[in-house]
Amino acid sequence: MSDKPEKFIDENGLRLDGRRLNEIRPMKMEIGVLSRADGSCYLEWGKNKILAAVYGPRELHPRRLQKSDSALIRYRYNMAAFSVEDRIRPGPSRRSIEISKVSREAFEPVVMTQLYPGTVIDVFAEVLQADAGTRTAAINAASVALADAGIPMKGLIASCAVGKVDGQLVLDLDKPEDNYGDADIPMAMTSDGEITLLQMDGDVTQEEFKKAIEMCKEGCLQIFEIQKETLRQKFTKLDDVEISDDEDNVDISTLVENSLESSVDDEGEDSIVVEDTEDDPGQDIEVEEDQDIEIEDEADEDIGPEKEEFIPEAVDLDTDQEDAEDIEVSGDIDDPCLVDGDIAPEDDGRTA
Amino acid sequence: MSNEVMSILKKDYIYNLMLKGKREDGRTFDEIRDIDLRTNVIEKAEGSAWIKLGETEILVGVKLQVGTPFPDSPGEGVIITSMELNPIASPEFEAGPPKENAIEMARVTDRGIRESGAIDLSKLCITEGEEVWIIFIDIHVLNNSGNIQDASSLGAIAALLTATVPGKREGRGEDIPLPIRDMPISVTLVDIGGEVMVDPDLDEENVCDCRITIVSNQDGSISGMQKSGDGALTEEKLLQAVSMACQKASELRETHLLDI
Amino acid sequence: MEREIVIPGQLLSENKGDSGPGTYVKDGKVYSHLYGVKNAKNKISVIPFSGKYIPSPKDYVIGTVMELTPSNWIFDIGSPYDGLLHVSEYPKRVQSNIMAEFMDIGTSALLRIKDVNSSMKVELTMKERGLRSLTEGRIIKVTPAKVPRVIGHGGSMVSMLKKETNCEVFVGQNGRIWIRGKDSEMENLTEAIDLIIKHSHTSGLTDRISDFLRNDKDDVQMTENVSEEGIVDGTVDTDEVQEEAYRKMDALLDDDN
Repeated sequence: MSDKPEKFIDENGLRLDGRRLNEIRPMKMEIGVLSRADGSCYLEWGKNKILAAVYGPRELHPRRLQKSDSALIRYRYNMAAFSVEDRIRPGPSRRSIEISKVSREAFEPVVMTQLYPGTVIDVFAEVLQADAGTRTAAINAASVALADAGIPMKGLIASCAVGKVDGQLVLDLDKPEDNYGDADIPMAMTSDGEITLLQMDGDVTQEEFKKAIEMCKEGCLQIFEIQKETLRQKFTKLDDVEISDDEDNVDISTLVENSLESSVDDEGEDSIVVEDTEDDPGQDIEVEEDQDIEIEDEADEDIGPEKEEFIPEAVDLDTDQEDAEDIEVSGDIDDPCLVDGDIAPEDDGRTA
Repeated sequence: MSNEVMSILKKDYIYNLMLKGKREDGRTFDEIRDIDLRTNVIEKAEGSAWIKLGETEILVGVKLQVGTPFPDSPGEGVIITSMELNPIASPEFEAGPPKENAIEMARVTDRGIRESGAIDLSKLCITEGEEVWIIFIDIHVLNNSGNIQDASSLGAIAALLTATVPGKREGRGEDIPLPIRDMPISVTLVDIGGEVMVDPDLDEENVCDCRITIVSNQDGSISGMQKSGDGALTEEKLLQAVSMACQKASELRETHLLDI
Repeated sequence: MEREIVIPGQLLSENKGDSGPGTYVKDGKVYSHLYGVKNAKNKISVIPFSGKYIPSPKDYVIGTVMELTPSNWIFDIGSPYDGLLHVSEYPKRVQSNIMAEFMDIGTSALLRIKDVNSSMKVELTMKERGLRSLTEGRIIKVTPAKVPRVIGHGGSMVSMLKKETNCEVFVGQNGRIWIRGKDSEMENLTEAIDLIIKHSHTSGLTDRISDFLRNDKDDVQMTENVSEEGIVDGTVDTDEVQEEAYRKMDALLDDDN
């Protein structure tokens, strides 16, 4: 265990690991790494190694947990026993339960759960190696895994933290900065800059906090670029595929190994590192409320009825919700106290 | 093993292939899927191995801590093996404390290592009766495509082979390599309609009548066995399984462990 | 036709009238809500790379019985929602106490979706020619988003597959494909479908798969052949209408139940 460094920022304004104040650690991602999951993403960020997988939408049991008008999102943040210096006991802890909750809530605003009433979308984020910023790293991986699973989303979510060391704000804390810094503010946001996760501990002024949001936004923009690049790359890679090979499956081991080799020099060939983003499409955070999102009603479109069968339908959110409300019999299907006996109407067919 | 309903068509297909001496993925009965094994993938662990057996993926991490010995073996280190059938690995796995399958597989892995004497536990005593090294072997299943058992046990021994006793970090002398004396390897076979075949994939596990795991050592001796599943096994098939397993184990050792 | 990969939240158009399937409108602009390929025919839509099958009335599906209740077979149809086949929707009259003699747990069947209500209760039927329980052949699973590719332009792919392999093929919209034929032919067909899925985003696929089935498989190279037939064409053109006809034809030809 290292002792507290005397200085976190040198006379040139560089941090202990050589980064500038507003620079994130090198990040790389790969999608579709697990064959059983509906969507998956492996991410390395600094020394963090995260594996995220999405299962669903799928059937939810017990039925009393089902939401009649939308899908339930479950998020499980879990650390491998060997992911940290001192082994941790496997299984949920108070810390992991809290992180799971706020991370799930970070995705609620963008995942279009209304499209899959009564189901569950499970997001699993496994921390294989932890090195400061695991919750933000897990969110970045989960966001890509959700897209990979074909889950409809209004947009991706990116996440990073701002902290304070030596009285200065820094982006994306590393381990010593996290351990000995004066503040830690993890955030997650949409590409519009709406904040979907915010935690903070430590001590900052209001001025500093304002600046922290801006720094964080800058960091998230870089991460969005990496996420987008990762998603686009999957299929440009596939384009080069020859019939006789079957290298479509990404091999985690290669990733892990590459990381070992390239951990010294940050920019390995396959790592996508976005240093600076000049233009800033997410700048405009004064976008109006989410509420005025319309989804095209497809009913009177001039596509033949057969065609619809093959096209993922655009759905009128409002109508859907109303429908769902209409059929809600007991009025309170979400009520956890509900006993298994009196369930939603869809059960009738089975028990009759 | 699984909650998934298996289509009768699929069962028939696998059974009919068996009658012709074939398997779904084109392997012979004594052929193990491709193995990709990498060690030292988790820098924070004292030893680690990532293994891909076909599509099955497992990460094993070894951690060492100072603790107290068991009263009946005051001069020996302690091995603790745990396995998590993580919900990330399969739609059938659920979050929560380990269930019987996970516990069974972790214990079979543990017994193989313990009973073979693979680790020289007497060298892991710091102060007799007071302080010894405790070895935690944590098996993290990432993707279940069948035969977690063999992937785990191969991953575990590979991770142990790369492990260091962190003497400096814990203020207990120098860092030394973990004292390993043997390389137990488990080979699992399934019985499908009276034929035994090694390294079952997911479908084979789901249709099989029963499963047998045999752990064998460098000198060909057997240090652990487990029969699992509802079916029964004839003596003849069992003996055939044992000889097949020992031979496969020595091949695996040769190919994957000797150069670690 | 350009083939552009889009991601959730990507701006597709400034004109909200362009919003088609797979998109949403916010502040008068059209964005993608899926990860997939953009299709700019008429309106802008996004065809996803992956995703679960969501049942829709009139779809043909292949399911496997997971449970029996006194009056229903409950089918796993590869969807978050199970399908219910009421005993009265079986082609013959069945006493509910002997339902398992007709179809027991694990039995697979060709089915059609009769109705889906607003709480996603899925009712199935087998009362249509050609729909039946399966006792032979194999079921191949593919991602439902790729089903249109297996069907091909106007059913071109599936008819070519049938012709080249002499197999019966029934493509369920839920991503399950039933095939029946000689063992060796089924092997080839399985490999061919595997290739279609792997290369689903590329063009000129039908010809290449045809070559693959005709020639010595190892010699064929899946070299890219961009443009003439983009993925976008394959998925939303007239295929569907004709494939419908195909199924009807198959149904008429199959009378062994």
